[in-house]
Amino acid sequence: MFILGFHFPADMGNTVPDAAVVAKLDESGIDTSGINEIKMVTEYHGQKEELSYTKKDTFMFKALVHYVKTAETDYMIYTNRYQISELSKRLDSDDETMALCKKFDSMAHFKITAA
Amino acid sequence: MAALRQIAFYGKGGIGKSTTSQNTLASMAYYFDKNIMIVGCDPKADSTRLILHEKAQNTILQLAAEMGTVEDLELEDALKPGAGIFAPDSPHGWINCTESGGPEPGVGCAGRGVITAINFLEEEGAYEEEGLDFVSYDVLGDVVCGGFAMPIREGKAQEIYIVMSGEMMAMYAANNISKGILKYANTGGVRLAGLICNARMTDFEYDLAWALARDLGTQMIHFVPRNNIVQRAEIRRMTVVEYSPKADQALEYKELARKIIHNDMKIIPTPLEMDDLEALIMKYGLEEEADEDNIGKTEAEL
Repeated sequence: MFILGFHFPADMGNTVPDAAVVAKLDESGIDTSGINEIKMVTEYHGQKEELSYTKKDTFMFKALVHYVKTAETDYMIYTNRYQISELSKRLDSDDETMALCKKFDSMAHFKITAA
Repeated sequence: MAALRQIAFYGKGGIGKSTTSQNTLASMAYYFDKNIMIVGCDPKADSTRLILHEKAQNTILQLAAEMGTVEDLELEDALKPGAGIFAPDSPHGWINCTESGGPEPGVGCAGRGVITAINFLEEEGAYEEEGLDFVSYDVLGDVVCGGFAMPIREGKAQEIYIVMSGEMMAMYAANNISKGILKYANTGGVRLAGLICNARMTDFEYDLAWALARDLGTQMIHFVPRNNIVQRAEIRRMTVVEYSPKADQALEYKELARKIIHNDMKIIPTPLEMDDLEALIMKYGLEEEADEDNIGKTEAEL
């Protein structure tokens, strides 16, 4: 099973607990301290939109910093984005993050950078 | 040396199985240095064209007909090395290609071609080629007959990836293929290794594919978004990986390839009853539940 690009052994079944994903993120040793903002550009049917996300104390922020630091390019893999949203809806609760989850659930193409 | 892995891509006709399989296998060869033999099991013989840069390869059945019998056929006549970056001298992995072929439309049994092809390849030692890491079968449509079940029936393909989308018929087909895998799981050892959602970009498609995978007991291993670069590459008879290896879509196939290489989730599926499948589809809004009073009524009568 693969979540956020992490491999979870088959004996964990096909419904991996959220805590196990969070633990993998923590184990990855990603340092979010120097990053205050995640910038994204979305595009769908030629319509572009720029987004900024600054909620540092969320699962969403940690997952996005991990993505930025480990991905080869600024392109966001759709599966990872949908999985981040799915988890964030359960682990975070603030309005800014929920609004971003809604954007993530779309069919739009996302580019992401950290600032 | 790692053991040879035999995988298969099944799915509803027209779902993008051959495109998805060729792009994924190309990524396994190019980015991860895997050596692969593709066995096309579709009478259309289009499972290898993007790797060979050809319209369609001469099939084993065609070649056997020209020669008289399949016994007169040599392996090098039917198994062609990939073109471009997939050639045998590639610094990355290589890909060899063969197509089973089938009878003329409306004549004979198409599944028979699959059986003939696999037997021929076995007898000619194609599975014993040095350095071969993966054999991949690209199989037409549903498990509609014993012939198309051949790769799973006789323990040839051990891992099945079902290419599907959020469309109703693609999901029905995925469920039916799971029934076919279940039938042969205990005798042949075949396992379902995951669903690949070749997205149509419809609402809730990820959620729907994920829910179907969960209910089948498997994983939705990757959601492949729609991107016009796939068609641009196909017009040139190329995979995206070869046409534009740094394109966003190439990264999607690369990630799917990585997951397949490291995948250890191979399960006996738990296919859904038809009512449960329809309930799943309705839950995610693909179909509006019909009021019993409205069944059979035209729009004007409602």
